This record gives sequence, structure tokens and C-alpha cells, in this order.
Amino acid sequence: MENTLRRRAFLKMMAKGLFVSSGLLVYPSLGWSEDAMEYAFEGQSLLHKKYYIKAVQVLKKSVNLDPESDWAQGLLGRAYAGLGQKAEAVVAFRNAIRINPGDTYSRMMIAEMTQKPITGTQKEKKPLTPLEKKALEEEEVMLNRLNAKKGLGYNVKRVVIDAGHGGFDPGAVGQSGLKEKDVTLDIALKLNTKLNSIGKIKSFLTRTGDYYMPLSARTVTANQHQADLFISIHINANNKRSANGSETYFCSKKASSSEAEKVAALENSVLKFDETHKKKPGYINIEEILFRFEQKLYWTESGKFAKTFQDRFKKNLPFRSRGVHSANFYVLRRAKMPSILLETGFISNSSNEEMLKKPAFRDKIVDSIARGIS
Amino acid sequence: MKKALYFRLKHNVPIILIVVAVIFGTGTALCQDVDSLVFEGYDALYRGDLKNALLKLEAAVKVDPENEFAHNQLGIVYAKKDRFNDAFNEFLRVIKLDNRNTFAQKWLGILYLRKGEMNKAFERFNEIILIDPENADAYYFLGAIYNFRHNQAKAIEYLKKARDAASQEADTHYRLAKAFHNVDMTTNALLEYQRTLKIKPSYTKAINEIGWIAYNQGDVETAISYWKKTLKMNNKNREAIFNLAKAYNEIALVAVKEGKKKEAIKYWKKTIIINPSNKAAKYYIKKYGKG
Repeated sequence: MENTLRRRAFLKMMAKGLFVSSGLLVYPSLGWSEDAMEYAFEGQSLLHKKYYIKAVQVLKKSVNLDPESDWAQGLLGRAYAGLGQKAEAVVAFRNAIRINPGDTYSRMMIAEMTQKPITGTQKEKKPLTPLEKKALEEEEVMLNRLNAKKGLGYNVKRVVIDAGHGGFDPGAVGQSGLKEKDVTLDIALKLNTKLNSIGKIKSFLTRTGDYYMPLSARTVTANQHQADLFISIHINANNKRSANGSETYFCSKKASSSEAEKVAALENSVLKFDETHKKKPGYINIEEILFRFEQKLYWTESGKFAKTFQDRFKKNLPFRSRGVHSANFYVLRRAKMPSILLETGFISNSSNEEMLKKPAFRDKIVDSIARGIS
Repeated sequence: MKKALYFRLKHNVPIILIVVAVIFGTGTALCQDVDSLVFEGYDALYRGDLKNALLKLEAAVKVDPENEFAHNQLGIVYAKKDRFNDAFNEFLRVIKLDNRNTFAQKWLGILYLRKGEMNKAFERFNEIILIDPENADAYYFLGAIYNFRHNQAKAIEYLKKARDAASQEADTHYRLAKAFHNVDMTTNALLEYQRTLKIKPSYTKAINEIGWIAYNQGDVETAISYWKKTLKMNNKNREAIFNLAKAYNEIALVAVKEGKKKEAIKYWKKTIIINPSNKAAKYYIKKYGKG
């Protein structure tokens, strides 16, 4: 490895030869310190003879006199590389690149040398700023309280509960006049109280009263509170009055059925701000890879939560279970966490509507959801 | 070739001589020193000339199949050309040559993440830490994975190590800030968001999050100023638009409750300016604008 580096340094040195010889005429006119240049030439000559220790000594003098010479910094990097002092070599090569970003050779040397671990790098310690001191105090108090769980299981500590519809948007309305927006708000408020009283999970609401919240604002609330799970509560409706029961939706690229697609279309609002992620050719965006991975994980987790909730409904509610479905819901897609949409009965079905009117029945729904979370 | 033909026409050089010259030239290129090939390949890759980079680096690994650096760079070229399986194989070759090549280990981890294979990626990044306990990238990816699992205590542990190993990565500070933010360690979150912005002032996600810290602490005006700052940088930033719309809507609803309809309408009108399709703002302007 060392031999290869030496050979490469030599090759580069030879390649630079032409530049150096022309530089003899050019550098003085660029205001270079003659001493710095003399040291650099001496260092280059020593490098050529593989006298690396002496080369480092001389080149350090050159760099001290003229720290902004990419040429001398590059030579110093090579001298350190010759001595096997990778950490120092990388620093010098980095300086060379900082001064001359077009120095591909130094760039390549860094890339090559950092393929494997480099030991011996030292970091300078700076005095703390007031915010840093405050942060340290906070860390001392708070960090020990956090339970670091091992393994890669998904953790839920914060939930945002979304009561569907509201204000001028009543949602679906039952035959006897029961409005979806009122039922969803009542369930959401009760669930919020229950979760906060249990204490293990913090919960937040997208709306606390009878007013309209755009879909975008609902997702924004989930992001505002750094939620781990987003639950949107709805009551279903269908032209067929006989349709009844509960179902749970989660977000996926493709709808699980044409029916699910219709429900998503019904719940989605028209928004024109969709950014399309266009891939730049010849460019690997690692953050984009992480983003897509994250989204995929959340959708998978959403599917698991959806199944858990639906199983609870099946067990606890005197309803037909219509199962778990997936579709591309705006309100779910925009959340940066697993998110599900619950349809707890059909308001268009008179029997379901009667049940949904009863506080005891709503408590059962709340209980099922709370158990599904914890 | 066109130039060669032009030269022939102009100087009446027999075409056979040109062909010989071309063949001779190609032959010389094949015999090129592997170091030159690697350097030229790397240089081409850096300049974005993927075609030439591929040519040189493929030639380099043919001449020197044990050149780890050339394989790694070739892997990057393949990945950039969306040939992810080929890239994967190149990095795997490097690992077979030397398991301690953490660059190749890292890229294998990234490619596992790309395939959605979290556990394999996790193992790979952990392997790097065993080889190099100071490897900032490995800590970063492990921290990011814990971030995705919302295991913030672990995310903080790993992202702090990533930060301490290489403090000049804006993404590391941002993810660490998010982890702190999630567990209500807002001072630390704020500090890390600020560090993110010090490195990359255009990191709008960090600006938007600082807005939320202010908003959740009741400092609505400061929050609004942060989101407006984002919009100044990018007037289509959806997060800032929706954050502002939500804030304006909430201010307006409070104003209505207090009987200040004019004040409320002023905020809904502001909403319409930044988010013309906002249903709530449209409805309420219509409703309260009349009276």
C-alpha cells in the first residue's frame, strides 16, 4: 500500500513538473514568498529522493510561510503519506482542496486513505457557549430518564389524534341527523383524556372543537408534536344503507381494492403542492435513499398498527369487521410517522348510527383504540 | 474520427496510416499504468463524466483485480448509473479482499437500506464500528435507523457519537436535533438545529423545526418569522406554507372567539396568499367577510 502511494505521489509529482517549471516564472509575479517557494522546491526534491522526514520538516516551513499554497500543502500531504502518517496527510490534502477545489489528485488521495480507519486524529476543544451549557444541563437531567430499549422494534410515546371533519364540513350525516364530525370529536377527546391519564403516552389533538381544519393542517399537527403515531378517526357512510361494520385503512402507494381507492378519493382534498422528486442523473442522494427507506418502514408499521386496531375492534365491538385496507390517503401520506385511518361504523346504517349515539359504545371504541396503542 | 478524416482530406494522408495510429493509440491506452487509469477514472468521476470513469475504472480493475480503491470507485460509478447490483458486487469484492475496508462496508449498508433490508444494513454498520470505533458515517446510519424506529434514546446515543466524530455534517446535527426534539429536550434540539444551520444556512427543514419549538413554547411571532424565512429562500416550501397556514388559521379562530372578525379575516387573507387552495380560509373569509 505504501509503495503504491509512493508511486502515485511520484507520478503526480512528475505530472506537476511542467506546472512547476512554468511556475518558476509565474509564482513570483503572483506574490509568493520566495522563501516559501524555495522550501517547497526543496521539499519536492527531498520527496523525490524519498527523504520523507526531512521533506516534512522543510514543507512545514513552506506551509507556515505561505499557508495558502495548494501545491505546498499537497506536497506536505504526500510527504506525510510517505511516512505512513495518514491523519496528518489527510489534513494537508484537505487544505490543498480547500485552497484549490480542482485538485483532484489530493481529493483522490483523501478518498483512498480514508477507505480504512485512520487513527490518531485529534479534535480541538472549544469553550462552551451559553446555549451549549444550558443544553448540557438539560442533557444531564433528561437523558438518564430515557429508557434506551434494545432491538429495532417500533416505539410509540407520542400520538396525534385527528377527529375527522369539523366546522362547516359535517362529514357524513345519519338518517336521524347524527353528524360524523360530532362523533369523531367526542371519540378523539375521550381517547386523548384516556391516553394522557395512563401517562405512558403523550397525546395531542388536531382539533379540540367544532371548527374546520384543512387536511394539510392535520398532518402538520402530527409533525408539530413529533408524533410517533397518527390516528385519524372517521365514521363511514355508503349509499347502500345495509353497509355496516368497522374497517381500518393505512397508506400505501396502491389501493388494496377499488373500494379502498374510492374511500381515499372521498377523503382526499385537492392539493397542488405535490413536489415531485426528480432524480438527478449521475447523482446518488443518500438522504433520498434514507427518506424512501423511512417512508417504506412507516407504511409497513402502519399496516401492522392497522391490523392490531382492527383485531381489537373485531374482538370488542358488536360490529362486523370489514378488515384492513390500504389506499393513498393524503392525510396519511403527508405524515412523517406511521399513520392510520379508522372507520368506526357506518353512520348511514340505522343500527350502527343508534350504537354510535350511545356514550357507552363510544367508550368501547376508545378503549379498543387505547389498548391497540399500548 | 471526423477530425482524422478531415486531416486526411487536407493533407492527403492514406487512411491506413490513420487506422494504424488509432489502433496503436488504443493499444497504448490498454497498457496504461493502473495508477494512471485509477487517477483518470477518479478524475472523470469527479467531473461527472461517468462514461469515461466507467471505461478507466473497469480497465483498472482488469489490470489490477486487487485494487480496492478502484473497485470502490467503480462501485460508485455503477451506483450513479443506477446499476445497483453491479455496485453491490464491486463493494462485496472489496470486502472479500479486505474486510476492514469501511468505505465498501458503508456502501453495502447503504445499498441494503435502499433495498429495504434494515437488519442487514444494521449489521453492516455495526460491523464498521467494530473495525473503526470512530467511524462517523456508521454511527450516523445507525442513529438514523433508530430514528426511524422512534427509539430516540438510542438514536441520541449514536448520533451524538456521529456528531463527535465528525461535527461538520449538517444532516447529523439535524437528525440529532430531531431525536432531542422528539423527547422534549428542546434546548439540545435548538442547539443542534442551530449547528445544522451554521453548516448549511439553507437547511430549511431545520428552520421550520425551530419554528415549531418557538410555536409550542407560545412564541407564535418568532415561529412565523422562521417559516417566513424559509419561504424567502423557497416560496414553494410546502412545510413552511402549511405551518404558516395552520398558525394563521389558529390565530384567526382565536380572534373570532374574541369578536375580532377583522383581525381574523386579515390572517385568513394572509393564508390565501401563501396557500390559495386553503378551504378553511376561503370559507371563513366568505362567512365573516359579509358582516
